[in-house]
Amino acid sequence: MSWFTPPIALGRIAWLRTVLYLFVVLDMHAFVRDTLDKGEHPGFYQPLFLARLLDLPKPTVANTTTLYVVLIAACLVGASNYFPRVAGWIVAPAFTWWVLIGMSDGKVDHDHLALVIALWVLPTVGRASYGDQTRSEAAGWVVRCIQICVIATYFLSAVAKLRSGHWTLAWPSSAVLTWAIVRRPHPVGEWLLHHPWMLHVMQWVGIVAEFCSPVILWLRGRWQLLGALFFLGFHAATTAILLIHFLPTEVCWLAFAPLERIRVGRARRTYLVAAG
Amino acid sequence: MPTEQKLGRRGRIARVAVAVTGIVLLVNGSVRGSDDLWPFGPMSQYAMVVADDESIVFTRISAVTDAGTTVDVPLNIEGAGVARAEIEARAGEIISNPSLLQQVADGWARKHPDKPKYVSLALIQDTTQLVHGRVEGPPSPRVLTTWKVRP
Repeated sequence: MSWFTPPIALGRIAWLRTVLYLFVVLDMHAFVRDTLDKGEHPGFYQPLFLARLLDLPKPTVANTTTLYVVLIAACLVGASNYFPRVAGWIVAPAFTWWVLIGMSDGKVDHDHLALVIALWVLPTVGRASYGDQTRSEAAGWVVRCIQICVIATYFLSAVAKLRSGHWTLAWPSSAVLTWAIVRRPHPVGEWLLHHPWMLHVMQWVGIVAEFCSPVILWLRGRWQLLGALFFLGFHAATTAILLIHFLPTEVCWLAFAPLERIRVGRARRTYLVAAG
Repeated sequence: MPTEQKLGRRGRIARVAVAVTGIVLLVNGSVRGSDDLWPFGPMSQYAMVVADDESIVFTRISAVTDAGTTVDVPLNIEGAGVARAEIEARAGEIISNPSLLQQVADGWARKHPDKPKYVSLALIQDTTQLVHGRVEGPPSPRVLTTWKVRP
């Protein structure tokens, strides 16, 4: 039971709030950025299960614009660490709705799990400030939930790959990366098309790493840092080969970092010591 | 010495229950759910087995403009305001109701008022053939449906 609620310094929550709420603002303009467009042209709108369950209204110019303004305002307040609960409880449902609209057109992206869950758990902790070393189990639960979702993004994608091969290991030896590159051609990928064995090696490395990813939850210190760096490198590779980034997941890796050790002020120097 | 804030019994039980429920929902989505269950759906990006002799299809929209040129419609938010994935996911619907393509022309005209307008659109499927896991020759195009743009 206590594994879910390790005591963690409140300072980490303060940093996560600042980074994640600002990231949401970036996300609304760079990644899930067609929600306002969908309000203007809901022609392809096809509500997802959650939107149907909650009977959310069809996107319109009025409701998507309101959502935009409210989200930006609440994110800026939340990022400042003032009124963390009020701001947080506004951002969580509002951003969930924003993404639900953005993904209600027949395509769902899989990089938003950790970010969306982070937004729902962050407001369960009250006031926190950057340097606060007070260790809190409530803060630990928040951090643990984000960590679990980051790892689940990898582990469950390995499960989905096994499922796609009817629960066999057909996926890593198949031509899936060739398929992806043919559909999104670019110089690096086209060079790789001439060397299918390299693509197969990447598929094997990918699926094995995804399967082993839960180990990171139990690693400590520099081993955990190595695990995190491995997966960030994995994203760099998939960005180069497939042109897909996973930034909304990558930013949530910060839940593993001892952000509370960042010294605020003091000649504006910051120290990030390896996890411990 | 930093102090420590402990959770009460009920607070801890509630939190563990929420976390375990979330994990169960996630596993359920991955094992038997679909994308519809977002955010508890399967992490199915690139989760498909592509055979070594597969025909890889790629859907695009080609437009004839009022300047007399033929162009590929940029299928993204900045281009025509609609993503390729949406067009691919809804191709069947577009074939039975080509007027859905009007939205693509409208999106382009709205975002690029100074560029040539689209006068007709064609939904095209390019097929690339794999042989023994390698690409064999250039893609062959096939027109799935066309739409004459309403001004």
